[in-house]
Amino acid sequence: MKSSLLNMVLVLFGITAVAAFLVGLVNNVTKETIAQTEQRNKDLAKLEVLPEFEGDAEFEDKCCEIGDFKVNVTTVKAGDAVVGYAVEAPSITRGGYADRITLMVGFVEKDGATLINGIKVLKQSETPGLGANMTKEGNSLERSAVGKEPKSLKFAVSKEGGSFDALTGSTISSRAYANAVETAYAGYLWAKGELPSADVAKSGATKQEDTTSGATKCNNEESEAQKGEVKNE
Amino acid sequence: MSKLQLITKGIIKENPTFVLILGMCPTLGVTSSAINGMGMGVATMVVLIMSNMVISLIKGIVPDKVRIPAFIVVIASFVTIIEMLMKAYVPSLYASLGVFIPLIVVNCIILGRAEAFASKNGIFDSALDGIGIGLGFTLSLTAIGAVREMLGAGSIFGYTFAPDVMPLLFILAPGGFLVLGYLMVLFNKVAKR
Repeated sequence: MKSSLLNMVLVLFGITAVAAFLVGLVNNVTKETIAQTEQRNKDLAKLEVLPEFEGDAEFEDKCCEIGDFKVNVTTVKAGDAVVGYAVEAPSITRGGYADRITLMVGFVEKDGATLINGIKVLKQSETPGLGANMTKEGNSLERSAVGKEPKSLKFAVSKEGGSFDALTGSTISSRAYANAVETAYAGYLWAKGELPSADVAKSGATKQEDTTSGATKCNNEESEAQKGEVKNE
Repeated sequence: MSKLQLITKGIIKENPTFVLILGMCPTLGVTSSAINGMGMGVATMVVLIMSNMVISLIKGIVPDKVRIPAFIVVIASFVTIIEMLMKAYVPSLYASLGVFIPLIVVNCIILGRAEAFASKNGIFDSALDGIGIGLGFTLSLTAIGAVREMLGAGSIFGYTFAPDVMPLLFILAPGGFLVLGYLMVLFNKVAKR
């Protein structure tokens, strides 16, 4: 078709208008479902990293923001008993090979000791076949931490004197993983009141200029409101 | 050209990866395992079929000078819509393919077919062309992914047969270039007969 200014403007305008309308429509329709799926995945991950129990789970979120990072500690209760704590934590100082990774780490208290019950990778964009193996069940990183007392762990890869056996060919990803577990543990201690919030950042060893005055914002009261309930399947 | 030939030419004579050498960016990026290659191929095929049909449909009203921006808008909208639908209704597929979906927008196979075929042919033929080229792309990516996974990780489609002894190189980018190059030679040698 021959081009003239008028038909070029009209056609391009028409096509972009239709495209924008369709994209907006689909966005409207799917927005809700996407948010639900994401929330559901997180809730399921919380249950996955904790031991099985009877009855309905009750979640109580406690959130700590360190700079741009958010550490979310969820106390999972069944009835009146506390099942454990699911902590969602990013790797703060060490990014992975591609981006920061986010873990869900489950802590349980048994006979006065704290144990890591399970770890699930929530977000990672590591190389498929290498660093991305951290999502596989029973990988060497998971084995290095699960069932252990975090107190006794050294949060570094084994060749740097730590207690995490790195994934084959993925030292960088493994360091990020160890760092995220460390952040999660710090978050757990903070939620238990054993660690001032500022130290969560320090434990993750970030370079926050002034963690004591406002740079670290912990919004307990706010997040108390977002209690959730899910069925334990 | 018969209808069947429209499909088969995309797989052999005009194979997008090995003969037309289009879409190298996603090809090298995603083929670290067979299943990743296949997923990317199928996602591209779906977009390609739909964009080919729509472009063939609107070819009569799009002025020549603005056809490329018009095609790009159509393709980008499709990709965005598919991404949102996948995220909402097949989250497991989205979890494994998520990062590759936006790459489809800049995949030159799609714009290439819009230019070379869909803007000159009818809607039905354009859909067949999309199926053919899409199948060719999927098969090529799966083949490259399978070879890289076998050589680099000692597994195929996730089933491990030789763990921890294979050279990791093949999963990394340099291995991608090597495998792509050798498969290209092999394919052209066999196909030229």
